[in-house]
Amino acid sequence: EMEDAEFEDILDDWFIESLKTYKDLHVYQLEHPTQVLEWTSGNSVCVAGYSQSKNEILELRLPLKLLADENKSLCAERDFKVSHGGFTDGPVRCLTHIPGTRCAVTNDGLSSDLQVWDLGGEESDVIRRTGSIKGKRSASERGSRIAARPSSAPQVLHGAQISDVQLTELASGETLYKLETDSADPLSSLQFVSDTVFLAGCCNGSVYVADTRTSAPPQLSHSPSSAESVIWWTDAAAGPHPSSRRVIRVSSSGQAVVSDLRNLGGAGCQAQLDVQTPGRCSQVKVSWAPTLDDCISVSGFSGVVQIYNTRLWGAEPQEARPLFEHRGHAVSSQQTDDSVPTFVTSHIWHPERPRTLLSAASDGSVHVWDWVDPNRQGGSPTP
Amino acid sequence: MPEIKVTPLGAGQDVGRSCILVSIGGKNIMLDCGMHMGYNDDRRFPDFSYITQNGRLTDFLDCLIISHFHLDHCGALPYMSEMVGYDGPIYMTHPTKAICPILLEDFRKITVDKKGETNFFTSQMIKDCMKKVIPLNLHQTVQVDDELEIKAYYAGHVLGAAMVHIKVGSESVVYTGDYNMTPDRHLGAAWIDKCRPDILISESTYATTIRDSKRCRERDFLKKVHESIERGGKVLIPVFALGRAQELCILLETFWERMNLKAPIYFSTGLTEKANHYYKLFITWTNQKIRKTFVQRNMFEFKHIKAFDRSYADNPGPMVVFATPGMLHAGQSLQIFKKWAGNEKNMVIMPGYCVQGTIGHKILNGQRKLEMEGRAQNGPLLDVKLQVEYMSFSAHADAKGIMQLIRMAEPRNMLLVHGEAVKMEFLKGKIEQEFSIDCYMPANGETTTVTTNPSVPVDISLNLLKREMALGGPLPDPKKPRTMHGTLIMKENSLKLVSSEQALKELGLNEHQLRFTCHVQLQDPHSDADTLHRIYTHLKSVLKGYTIQHLPDGTVIVESIVIKVSSSAEDSNTKVLLLSWSYQVIIEPLLKKSFLYPAVLANPPLKSDVISSFWVQTLLQFPDSNKHCGITES
Repeated sequence: EMEDAEFEDILDDWFIESLKTYKDLHVYQLEHPTQVLEWTSGNSVCVAGYSQSKNEILELRLPLKLLADENKSLCAERDFKVSHGGFTDGPVRCLTHIPGTRCAVTNDGLSSDLQVWDLGGEESDVIRRTGSIKGKRSASERGSRIAARPSSAPQVLHGAQISDVQLTELASGETLYKLETDSADPLSSLQFVSDTVFLAGCCNGSVYVADTRTSAPPQLSHSPSSAESVIWWTDAAAGPHPSSRRVIRVSSSGQAVVSDLRNLGGAGCQAQLDVQTPGRCSQVKVSWAPTLDDCISVSGFSGVVQIYNTRLWGAEPQEARPLFEHRGHAVSSQQTDDSVPTFVTSHIWHPERPRTLLSAASDGSVHVWDWVDPNRQGGSPTP
Repeated sequence: MPEIKVTPLGAGQDVGRSCILVSIGGKNIMLDCGMHMGYNDDRRFPDFSYITQNGRLTDFLDCLIISHFHLDHCGALPYMSEMVGYDGPIYMTHPTKAICPILLEDFRKITVDKKGETNFFTSQMIKDCMKKVIPLNLHQTVQVDDELEIKAYYAGHVLGAAMVHIKVGSESVVYTGDYNMTPDRHLGAAWIDKCRPDILISESTYATTIRDSKRCRERDFLKKVHESIERGGKVLIPVFALGRAQELCILLETFWERMNLKAPIYFSTGLTEKANHYYKLFITWTNQKIRKTFVQRNMFEFKHIKAFDRSYADNPGPMVVFATPGMLHAGQSLQIFKKWAGNEKNMVIMPGYCVQGTIGHKILNGQRKLEMEGRAQNGPLLDVKLQVEYMSFSAHADAKGIMQLIRMAEPRNMLLVHGEAVKMEFLKGKIEQEFSIDCYMPANGETTTVTTNPSVPVDISLNLLKREMALGGPLPDPKKPRTMHGTLIMKENSLKLVSSEQALKELGLNEHQLRFTCHVQLQDPHSDADTLHRIYTHLKSVLKGYTIQHLPDGTVIVESIVIKVSSSAEDSNTKVLLLSWSYQVIIEPLLKKSFLYPAVLANPPLKSDVISSFWVQTLLQFPDSNKHCGITES
């Protein structure tokens, strides 16, 4: 078949190219696609299905070969190990791991209620539902965002819109804090930037910063753009110093704005991202790299994950070229129909390994990749 | 109840070897006979004492089936057949039969010659064992005996690997051996029809993994080879004659062409001849692409790959060499290794498992100084400075693959061997949920008994069918069986269900009727006729809704139970009631009204006892009766 041969060729090109452009590359095919990728430890992630009815939650341990350092060459183990698994009654649109526990919290994107899960331990490989947390809304178009408090107390911050944001203690179900605001803007992100301070990003681009210790009104930074149909996604860098805490906002039209956490409305830098299909996206993910200064990653516009160096951006929006593009999902997905092209549903950075990422796409693929910085190609490997 | 028993031989959590016993329809079958490669003592052999404490296994087994040539599936075969003793049939596919003895002999040489072991099978034993082998073709039903039949299916994995379908009567089992569901460069994917076996038996080793793509494994291989060549190093790839070697050659050839590389690639000649020979024999076992290539030209006429001469090993500059044997335990690959080991620019890529005692095994365990027999480079130990890479290309099905296979075969039950139960609860739940079948996971040495539900087809006579339909009610369907009455006639090989009358007619017998009788004594001063009348009246009031008649011939009939009264010979005040009923009487509706019913249900007594106690109870309520009334049986 001509098409098959052509497809194989393109694949070969990308794979041949990958010999130079990636240090490590692993390609997996899940039975069902996932929209969530969440670390549960330094070497395991959770994924979960999002079909209308029953789905699986899986905890996958990364391949030993990827993690092995000295004895890498003697380790042949390249597979994911399904260490724990469970079943859900509905889709999983958001999954958050509670640090320091074997507990995770999910939301199905249909209401703002949350489900609580026990990920299982040594004695059993089954992930079980242990309870639920009532949200404010029984029906919600996008569902809730969830953020786990970084400290040892298992508490979750959650809400579907800015006025619903509350902090719930898991053990008792008690509401410890509520965000006081009248606005009904739906949320696109929610995260803690310190143990008590959190950032809530709305779909319209406005960002709220509040402290769970006080009932004082939150700081509000308005959207960078007043365009109505544009959706915004946000990520805050969790650096050790307040000075390195920056926030990036990316819009569905490909506009990217970086500002300082302490001065969100002030002058930062911005760029027009090189995204293929601006406007046609619902699952954009933007993320600061945990260990590479100034690097951000963006996915959801197509089957590509892009990495940009924001240090090259200026005060005025200019077209930015990505530092690196992971095209694996786009290239290896064979489309039977052109109606819905494969797009990346989620991606995450490894918390410690500087250039290792995981990405998942709508065709069920999951890739683990360690990219080579094109500017240092040919140099010696750096930690 | 008909049942199938499955026992994985071995102990505890041992996962290194396959040897499974199946008892089905009175037949005993052994599936695989693998060696455990991790042990040096008797624990490496399967524990046959489960079958019999002493003596040969011939009388206890109807056949032995070997799925493929890997040692963890056939390594203990000569030990079992020649040292423990088994003279029955051994089944395996043609390629397995050709390749097994080579691997077994290699294995024997390493174990005996290199490690100096004594209690091991000999070369002659391997030859004698292989004489008992009956080769199988794919999709061909083989009658092991009058009742037991087997059929092999393509499993992928390695050349000649088969999944096997075992059938006795209407019960069957499928054993997968090792298989994979995605084709690779030289083998196709496993395939089986919707054979709906009672049990599908599979390994669980990879059932809880998600496999990295073949492309990424190949990428890693090409990356490593390319990096070595670029820095001027030499790459040694020890291979067995068949299988991965061809795949890796095709891969390198494509890559060299694409990248316009000049470094030479060599393939040792012994390999070429053997490989060509085997491929000619077993061309149907490879996938379409290889077959096309082979038909068009000689397998090994590559543009960039040439025949090796041992002198080339000393040539300067980068090169890649494929050489046998695969575990670096002797011969050409070991010679080349010794020459190249001292240079850190060089590399050796081990594409598979190495048996203990071989150089391959040692370097894969990180050993960097090796004892060499004969001439060594400098001093008694060989310094291993070259890069050692371990790569796994073996094709196995993963969690997704198992689900695909179950979908294909549609078994009634699933059985997974070699897994830890706590690590497979999720998979068990997944299989049970998606397919609504039971999933068993016996530990080694533990027997799982699966009750089967064999269907027995029976013809029904038209008359009987019409009669049943006339009774009304819902039509029978597989989910709602309907009980019916009839007589089963077994004549020669046919089974027929007919009405009782027709059966009697066919057998030329007269129908007999059984009537039970019992006597009940009553104290009643009235005349016989009066007593009878009083009984009649009483019963009419107590048993409403039933047909009760007082006939002129001096009997009371309740439905079809007949009651007569007569006076006792000794005392006219003692009346004797004679009750009689036929075996066909449907007593239940009457019984249900009595408070005896629960007791009757709990302890189904003989019908006559029931009737008697029922009548006693009823009569005890008789207004003028003396409470002392007994029962005499006749």
